[in-house]
Parts: sequence; structure tokens; C-alpha cells
Amino acid sequence: MAKVANERLRARKLLLDALKMPETLPALSLADWELLLRVARRARVLGRLESALHHAGLLGDIPPPVAAHLRAARNVIKHRKTLISWEVNRLLWALKGIDAPLILLKGTAYLLADLPPAQGRIFADVDLLVPEDRVREIEERLVERGWFKTEIDPYDDRYYRVWMHEIPPLRHRERGTEIDIHHRLLPKTSHLASAPAPLFAAARTLADPRLRVLAPADMILHALVHLFLEGDPDEGLRLRDLADVHDLLCHHGQEPAFWASLVPRARALGFQRPLFYGLHHAHQFFGTPIPPDVLHELEDAAPAWPIRKLMNRLIPLALLPGHPDHPSHLAALARWLIYVRAHWLRMPPGLLIKHLSHKAWLRFRGFRKRVDLAQLDLKQQ
Amino acid sequence: MILMAAGRGLIWQDWGDVYLVYQPSSAETHVFNETTAQILKCLEHGSLSTATAKERTEAALGVDLGELAADDFAFATMRLEELGLVESADDVSTAQ
Amino acid sequence: MNVGDLNRREFGEQLAGDGVALQFGPFNLRLRSDLDSFAAHAHQLYEPYPLPETTAICDFHVQICAPRGLRRWLRRQACFGVDGQFPFAPYTVEHAFPALEWGINWCVATRAHHLLLLHSAAVERNGRAILFPASPGNGKSTLCTALVHSGWRLLSDEFGLVRPEDGLLLPIPRLIPLKNESIDVIRRFRPEAIIGPSFLATRKGTVAHVRPPLDSIRRAQEPARPRWLIFPRWVSGAPLTLEPMSRSQAFLMVATNAFNYDVLDETAFRLVTDMVHACDCYSLVYSDLNEAIPALDELCNSMDR
Repeated sequence: MAKVANERLRARKLLLDALKMPETLPALSLADWELLLRVARRARVLGRLESALHHAGLLGDIPPPVAAHLRAARNVIKHRKTLISWEVNRLLWALKGIDAPLILLKGTAYLLADLPPAQGRIFADVDLLVPEDRVREIEERLVERGWFKTEIDPYDDRYYRVWMHEIPPLRHRERGTEIDIHHRLLPKTSHLASAPAPLFAAARTLADPRLRVLAPADMILHALVHLFLEGDPDEGLRLRDLADVHDLLCHHGQEPAFWASLVPRARALGFQRPLFYGLHHAHQFFGTPIPPDVLHELEDAAPAWPIRKLMNRLIPLALLPGHPDHPSHLAALARWLIYVRAHWLRMPPGLLIKHLSHKAWLRFRGFRKRVDLAQLDLKQQ
Repeated sequence: MILMAAGRGLIWQDWGDVYLVYQPSSAETHVFNETTAQILKCLEHGSLSTATAKERTEAALGVDLGELAADDFAFATMRLEELGLVESADDVSTAQ
Repeated sequence: MNVGDLNRREFGEQLAGDGVALQFGPFNLRLRSDLDSFAAHAHQLYEPYPLPETTAICDFHVQICAPRGLRRWLRRQACFGVDGQFPFAPYTVEHAFPALEWGINWCVATRAHHLLLLHSAAVERNGRAILFPASPGNGKSTLCTALVHSGWRLLSDEFGLVRPEDGLLLPIPRLIPLKNESIDVIRRFRPEAIIGPSFLATRKGTVAHVRPPLDSIRRAQEPARPRWLIFPRWVSGAPLTLEPMSRSQAFLMVATNAFNYDVLDETAFRLVTDMVHACDCYSLVYSDLNEAIPALDELCNSMDR
């Protein structure tokens, strides 16, 4: 029992130390590297470690078998970055003549705006925020130019369009990349629903004037909302999303007036609770330097003391990947509870959702059913 | 209409029967026949009107002027545009 | 030290405990299982495979185990897992061994992106290799098995592992899975071939595993330079044809048949270009191994001069 507890602690320490102090990695033993690779892969931060080592010029000091894994991660990440940039390029081509504000979100924004979280991050889809009254026009133009809509049941499709904050994903008929078009950051049904107009007003234009990203505070708030309200029952909360927030806080924190504006902006958008959790746990795991008066200002956004204590236990359990050989029932429970909470925050029980079962909702989020290993086309992986 | 080359850093391989071209900005590998390849090559030195591009392609292919079907040419340029290898503009005054 | 240096009991105990580390070419695997029947098959079929140094890291941590919870007692099942995750539908416990083998393929195909992964069989002789890029159903495993029992060394029956730094093929001489009629074909072709038990009614029909000759396993750390690209197709009753193939066609077939051509961007384009330039490319149609093997021997001998 003690051995298992020790192993779990070891896995946790290896991961957090690696993320906070990558310069210590060359000194790691092979046995430690073996565990770290597994845990980092689970948390999808392998690329982040590779990037940190690359920038510090330390890759040559890493044992060759370990370096092979890091190189593999780097190759995948580099390829995906190209796919995402290209998809944005093609998107702009397809939308020529449609003069709608396009705000890039999440990874797409980090990449196109050349922000620190883009390094070592694995990219999946292109995420865009557009005004609700332009969604149809944009979608139709994309369909004309070679994209197709994801096939879903007409009732689900309508549910998606009426209640959710995004339309079903679009995919180009030749390329695989998915485009997720959002018209707000959260479903209309959420407790935390906030109107998108202030986001558009504050958005910043990139070097290419057709593209925008959220203002610094908004970008961080969105990342936190996405982190805490879009969990997954298996994976829990995404540690790499918190790492992104840490990067953004450090980067934008250098701008004068950023810190002073953060809490007021959170209140204006109704996101003060996710900010509360985000700042505390970013500091806890990554040592993010946060001005004390900002934390003080945020105290009244804290939940009631019993809930605060509970979340202090649950969030780390749901955030950290645990030891691959010694899964923790407690962590699995925490992940599930956090997921249910996120689900509830997005869709309060009062809403009648007749046919949209739990599974269908998971399908929207790309939750993978158990596939048959024997029939799997390994080339599609 | 004006056509401009848009592919950056393309890597060409001439295999005799077809060209295989790697496009770094999209990470895609394309297979081009002689006609498509010549369209791209004639745009390498600057933008051209559609009509001029067609004439130069025909010259490069060693065929008579007007022999290349207009539909085929239009299809090829449309496809190249979709792949991001060519850009088109309507305004004549924007050409060099 | 090899798997066979552990007796059956030790092997089973380790497998059920911390796991047994196995070396397959460039990859070290840590394998765990609590299934007795699986342990028996593994001990028999993996017997000559080396155990890596205790200090070496393991690249994949896989397991094939009874499911947790109630299902353990209801139907006897085996679940394939990697790093504590079980993303696949369970198998019946009788199919644990083939499931594990497929699982290892999945690990390689989804993780080894520091290499170019071609979907190809590969064999070597006199320092030169033939690659057989092929889709499933073209008979490459059967052909490959016949060749390695006719004087060729097995590099792989599934993965052409190309090292980007120098374009060399890295061996991964694992068991070769044969399906349905191919099992009897090989038994007739080479009665002395070591073939494991037949697993009936799997998702791919009847499957049995051929253990490659010891020489192939012992030389698993010797890379080879590709010299021929041969695209095989088994067609019942067809006369033997071995015809040159255009290089552009060969390029496209290799690239579209690779597991991760896309992922490696420009590196993949250059590696496949170099390989196709350096190799003679042929398409092969055959129905009889006793015709195909000598034809390939002849081709490669004449090229060598």
C-alpha cells in the first residue's frame, strides 16, 4: 500500500517538477525518464517538455531512447501546426468578400498570434468565434467552397444550433482538419452564459487584418472557462490547458494595466469563479507569479468554505494524470464529479432535452466509443 | 482575371511521366501532369492575365495556340487555386 | 538473456507481477498479463526473443488482462491496455494472444513518429533489402514467411521502419500472423516452420503466428539498405508476372501505403524520393510460392552483379 502511494507521489512530482523546472531534466535517471514519458504523454504535455528542452539547448543531454520519444512528439506537433495554419489560410481564401469579424480561439489563436502556449502544444481543430447573425452565411460559403457538415441527426442538429454555443463541426472534403464555429463561448443554457458582444469589442487584430484574437484578459478567461467547464469523464481536467493559462498570465502579465483589469473584466463577463480556481491552481502547480492584491480582490468570488475545501481536493485529482500502473479510484471519482459539475453548469436540469441522451452529447464532443482493435485502420490514427 | 503563383518553397520532383510536388505550407504532396506543371511554371516569374497564362502554357507544351481546351485550363487553374498554389484577382489594375 | 531462460512458472509470475520486458527490434516492451493461457502462449512463442538490459527504458507498457469489475466473472474476456488505458473493445479470453499482437502494432503505428513507418514487409540478404509495400489481403505476410524460410532474413512483415537520418531499414522481426488458408500453405511449403496454435473465429478469421528463424531474431539490431521495391499481389491461379513499375507509381504506392507519411512532412517526401531513386521497382503477381520465390531470388542475384 505504501509502495503504491509512494509511486503515485513519485509520478506526480516527476511531472510537476518537469513542467516547472525543465532544466533539471538532463539529470534524470532512465527509470525516472521512463515514468515521466508515460505520465507526460497521458497529460499530453510531452511536446511541451520537448519544446522547453529544445529552447534551452538541452536536447543533446537527453539519453537517445528518450530523445526518440520526444522527437516523435515534436514531429506530430510540427505537422499539426502546419495543418492548422493552412486551414486558416484556406478559410480566409474561402471567405473572401465576406467581411465578418473572425476571432480565433484557443490553440488556433496561440499559433496565429505567436503566443508562448503554441510551443509544444498539440493542435486538433480550428476554433473560431463569429457573430451569431453571420454564422449561416459563413457556413454556407464554406460548404460551397468544399467543406461539408458533420452528419448528425436532424433533431440533434437543431438542438445544437438553438441551444449550444457552436454549430456542428465542418470538415474539408480532402483535408481532415475540423473547423468549429462558435458564436458564444458557452451554451446559452449555461449558468455562466455571457453575451459575446464585449469580446468582439475588445478583440485585437493580428498582422493579417482579417484575423483577430481575444484581448489578453478575455483569452485567459476563455481558456479557464474551457478548462473547467469542458471536462471529460476519463481524462478529467486538462492539465495542459492550465499550463497554457500559466504561459498567458506570464506573457500578458508584462503588459502594464493587465493585472489591474483582469478581475474587473472577469466580473463583467461573469467568469470570476473560473478565474478564482484558475489563478489558485496555476500558482499551485506552476508557480505563476500573481500579484497578491489580485488574489485579494478575487476573494469574494470564492465559493462557500465547504465547497472550496472540496474543490481543493477534487481539482488536483482531476487535473493530474496519476500513475499509469496504479490508477486511483478516488481520482476516477474526482474526474467524474468534476465532469458532472461541468455538465450541470452548461445544461441546468430545468431544460427539457427529450431525445438528446448523454451519449449523443458526448458524441458531439468527439468521445470515442470502444473500437475494435482488429478492424482499426492504423493509417487513420 | 489575373493569376499569381502562391505556393512558397515548393519542392519539385520530375519523374518523367508526372511531377510530384511537395507544398511546405500545407504539408501536401501533389501529382501534376505536364499541363498543370507548365501553368505553375509560367507563373513563376510574375502574375499574368488568364489569357496570357494560357498562351504561355500552350507554348511551353509545344502545342498550337488555342489547342488547350478553355474548360480544361479553367478547371486546372480553379483546382490550383483551391490548393492554394495560385491566387486569382479580378482587378486588372492590381497586376504588376 | 532470452525469454526461454525464464522457466514457465517464473515467466508467469513476472508477467502477472511487474511484467516482463521484451525486446522487439528498436523497441523495448513491458508486458503484463494475469491470464494463464496467454502466459503459456507467450512463453512458447516469444522463447528466443531477448530481454533488454534491466537499465534500459521500456518504450511501451502494455497489458492483456481480465477486465476489472463484474465482467471478470460473467464472460471470460481479455482487455488490451496501454499505460493503464483500455481504449478498445474486449476480446474473448481465447483470443488474448492475437489481441496483444495487434495491440503492439497499434502502439508502434501511433507512437513511433521519429521514424517513417511504411506499411510493408521487408526482408534482407547480403546487406540489401526488398520492401513489399502492400495493403492487407495482398498476401505479403505469406510471401514474407516463405522468403524468410528460403534464405532471407526477416526485417518485418508489417512495418518498414525507415530511419530518417540515413534512410536505412530497422528490423523488427516479430511473429508473422497468417490467416486462414495461408496457414496451410506455409505448412505445406515449409513443414519445419515453427507455427503457433491456430486461433479460431477471431475478427480476422483463423489466425496463427509463425516464429521467424533464429537468425532473424539474433540480428535484430542490424539495419539494412533498401534495394528493391516489389509490390506483390496474390491472385488465385494467376501465372507469375514480375514487371518493372514506373517510379512515380512506386512513389505513390509507398506514400499512400505508409502509416505516417503525412506526419513527417518534407522529411517523408525526401525519404521516399531517395528510396524510389535508389531501388528497382517491380510489381509481382503470383499464385504459387514455388514460382515466386525462385523468381525473386533470380531477380536479386542478377541485380547484385
